[in-house]
Amino acid sequence: MPVNVALGHVSNAFLVAALVFYSLSVVAFAGDFAFGRPRRAAATRGQQAQDRAAALAAVGAAGRAAAVPAVPAVPEAPAVPGAPAVPGAPADGPASGPAGGGDSMPELAVPALRAIGEAGRWVQTALALSLAGVLAHTVSVVTRGLAVHRAPWGNMYEFVTALTCVAAIFFLFVMIRYRAWTLGVFVMGAVVVTLGLAETLIYTAAGDLVPALQSYWLDIHVTAMTLATGIFFVAAVLGCVYLWVDRYAKRVAAGRAAPGNGIIQRLPSIEQIDRLTYRTIMFGFPVWTFGVIAGAIWADQAWGRYWGWDPVETWAFITWVLYAAFLHARATAGWRGRRAHYIQLLGFASLTFNILVVQVSIAGLHSYAGVS
Amino acid sequence: MTDVRAPETDPFDPAAEPDDPPRPDPASPGGGAFGPADWLRWVWRQLTSMRIALVLLFLLALGSVPGSMLPQQGTNPAGVQQYFTSHPALAPWLSRLGLFNVFGAPWFAAIYLLLFVSLVGCVVPRTFRLAGSARTLPPRAPRHLARLPRSAEYATALPPADAVEVAARVLAGHGFRLRRPAPPADRADPADDGHWVSAEKGYLREAGNLLFHLALLGVLVSVALGGLFGYKADRLLVQGDTFADTVSALDEFHPGRFVTAADLGPFTLTLDTFDASYISSGAQRGQPSAFDARISYTEQPGAPVRTGHLAVNSPLSIDGAKVYLIGHGYAPVFRVTDARGQVLYNAATPFIAGTSGNFLSEGVVKVPDAQPEQLGFTGVFVPTAVDVGGTLESVFPAADYPVVSLIAYAGNLGMNTGAPQSVYQLDTGGMQRLTANPQLLLPGQSLKLPGGRGTITFTGVVPWVSLAITHDPGQLPALICGIAALGGLLLSFMIRRRRVFVRARVAPDSRPGSTVQVGGLARTDASGGFEAEFATLAAELRSAHEQAGPHQSAAHHQSAAHRQQEGE
Repeated sequence: MPVNVALGHVSNAFLVAALVFYSLSVVAFAGDFAFGRPRRAAATRGQQAQDRAAALAAVGAAGRAAAVPAVPAVPEAPAVPGAPAVPGAPADGPASGPAGGGDSMPELAVPALRAIGEAGRWVQTALALSLAGVLAHTVSVVTRGLAVHRAPWGNMYEFVTALTCVAAIFFLFVMIRYRAWTLGVFVMGAVVVTLGLAETLIYTAAGDLVPALQSYWLDIHVTAMTLATGIFFVAAVLGCVYLWVDRYAKRVAAGRAAPGNGIIQRLPSIEQIDRLTYRTIMFGFPVWTFGVIAGAIWADQAWGRYWGWDPVETWAFITWVLYAAFLHARATAGWRGRRAHYIQLLGFASLTFNILVVQVSIAGLHSYAGVS
Repeated sequence: MTDVRAPETDPFDPAAEPDDPPRPDPASPGGGAFGPADWLRWVWRQLTSMRIALVLLFLLALGSVPGSMLPQQGTNPAGVQQYFTSHPALAPWLSRLGLFNVFGAPWFAAIYLLLFVSLVGCVVPRTFRLAGSARTLPPRAPRHLARLPRSAEYATALPPADAVEVAARVLAGHGFRLRRPAPPADRADPADDGHWVSAEKGYLREAGNLLFHLALLGVLVSVALGGLFGYKADRLLVQGDTFADTVSALDEFHPGRFVTAADLGPFTLTLDTFDASYISSGAQRGQPSAFDARISYTEQPGAPVRTGHLAVNSPLSIDGAKVYLIGHGYAPVFRVTDARGQVLYNAATPFIAGTSGNFLSEGVVKVPDAQPEQLGFTGVFVPTAVDVGGTLESVFPAADYPVVSLIAYAGNLGMNTGAPQSVYQLDTGGMQRLTANPQLLLPGQSLKLPGGRGTITFTGVVPWVSLAITHDPGQLPALICGIAALGGLLLSFMIRRRRVFVRARVAPDSRPGSTVQVGGLARTDASGGFEAEFATLAAELRSAHEQAGPHQSAAHHQSAAHRQQEGE
């Protein structure tokens, strides 16, 4: 079937619209930092709970350190022995566990819509713009798929537009689920930059695929890889935020910075960012694993072997090993926190290297990037 | 995530990692008498420690990098040769380090074998531990449930024994394993009033984790199985030709260690036609859109002839082996006569496409029987030729305007020296060049060689395909293990192992009924959600207690009281 050129143009127009919406949402997220009024009810309560949680976590960590000397404080472990139920914490649930620095994010007890309502104009505007952007982006990807009569991730440009769409949708969900508006400027900012670069540098008009890609395994393997990459993309941005906050905390501890940095204070606590990143990668890792397995099945169909250490396969393997190392590092004393995040960023670097360098300039069987 | 009673003996030990139980921290071999057995134990501890596993994972990732940056013997032997010629000083060293065959190199094998030994050393004891914990009951309920990470407290009109009974029913209904107090006579602590139930759930998390790691081991074994008992062969087949699946008829044959020529399936295969279609206009002009090879084959001598299609992404299974279409090209047909006028060569000659695109291909013709001297030709085939400033370029991959350009040689082809020769290369060392310039021929045209040495005619062109024939008995086990690994991963990520305790005490102030305390903790809750699960469970327990309780006005009273209690 011939490519539907008109629909291809519609797709391009929607992508530009998405880019505009995303850019405006980044401005609005930034505006929240700059001009957003401190959120009275929710924010102060949340902040208090956070401070308290931090204090309690410190107590817990100290207590545990005494019991098990060799193990440093684990951000994962809440460990709040003897803490009474927290006053001011939501009393309408039957269970009111201590709001430790651990599992609970106190603001989660507030229904999402109410939380958005309390978040202020700037955040509301930013969320609306993000949502509009995600919708336009999705329409763009779908119309591209309709224009070319196949899954719209057959070359690098399409892959990047699709993975940023996944990242935006996934992050929108995370942001609302965990009330993490303050992270919006970072993740949406990264989405805007990536999408903008794709649009200007590697734009490829809608077209047909070479026979090697004409397989329903494209729908399975590349879809999984697109999803996983989009999810890892969010995790990578969160990891950068983590390292930034961690570095700031270290500087404060060393007396080289004032503790009152406006932006950092309004971000979720470092433990929350850490846990959010961890959960994101736990979501992405099985998807990536599935993508690699599906790729192996496809390779067996197309090339007569399920694994042949083709450069792209090799780098997918390296990426898998590095993310596996991240998951193990979080379970290893001395490797949690900063080092674990370096590992996952290394994993994302290898993923990016695979897309941008290996598929383009190293000869192999996976040379489908369509970038000249 | 803490257990207030005995953190050092409980598997819910806060020192435990969020994802895996503790691997022993290697003790240093520093002090005292340290015999060989101690050393062995120390090395084993080191090897099975998480830290070393992490280092090995890094090494595995790092070791794979040269495998993608340097040409590899297995996938790109021509690239390796080229590397040797362009880096004559460096290449031998890289070769000595195994960097042109990374994934078969001893040092790479050492990394992954150590990693798998480390994995086994960690996983096997854990399997036993899991089996043990599946047999033992959950621990007794701690005294002070409010100290657990999740807790709730409320009053009920039921007496303590009944309240615990109701709670046990609810928890059992959710699939928890239960533990109830021992009979009073056995009670170690007489102060323990004995109305409690412990419940535990989520053993599948650890089972999934173990399954994942064991399945990875299975993948390794499957790959080894394929390497030992499988084979891979290549064959270039010109349209119209037939070949039998025997070692002598194959261009390349890479058998596994335990594979012999007798293991090849006795099939014969003919390439009837091959069609390639290309996009003819627009920005993607020249990009292939479809390949189709029509073949006929017999599964064994005497069997009926069958026909079939081979295409990219659609291999053909014949007799346990799979046949793949992996490449194609053009074979110009030449007829060569020598000085005596005898036709000594009349065959389609496969030319190999270079890197310049659009199937600009190169090949050679060797005529060893020509008299008075042997003849040789090097040629370039251009499927759709355009003269660009004196050089031929191919502007489209289909054979729309085919042209060959030939250089003729006469002399000694060097085929009798015993040294193996490539059919795609001409050794012109012992030959004299007959034509100063490359001679262009269109189909049907001939080139008369100077000195009456003979004639070469370009009679036409036919396509060829390259086929891969593989057999890999490790394929299915690898797939099963891969799926098992994924399943194990999902189990270990999605299931949390958690405990819930319920204690009922006689209500204070000698009111009727009792005070119920519910406490819960999840050992790992990386994907989150225990908070919500506990809340739901506690609410369910409470409503079960309310429904089971005697409906008196006191119940309302107490309900109000507990709300107050809880809110404090």
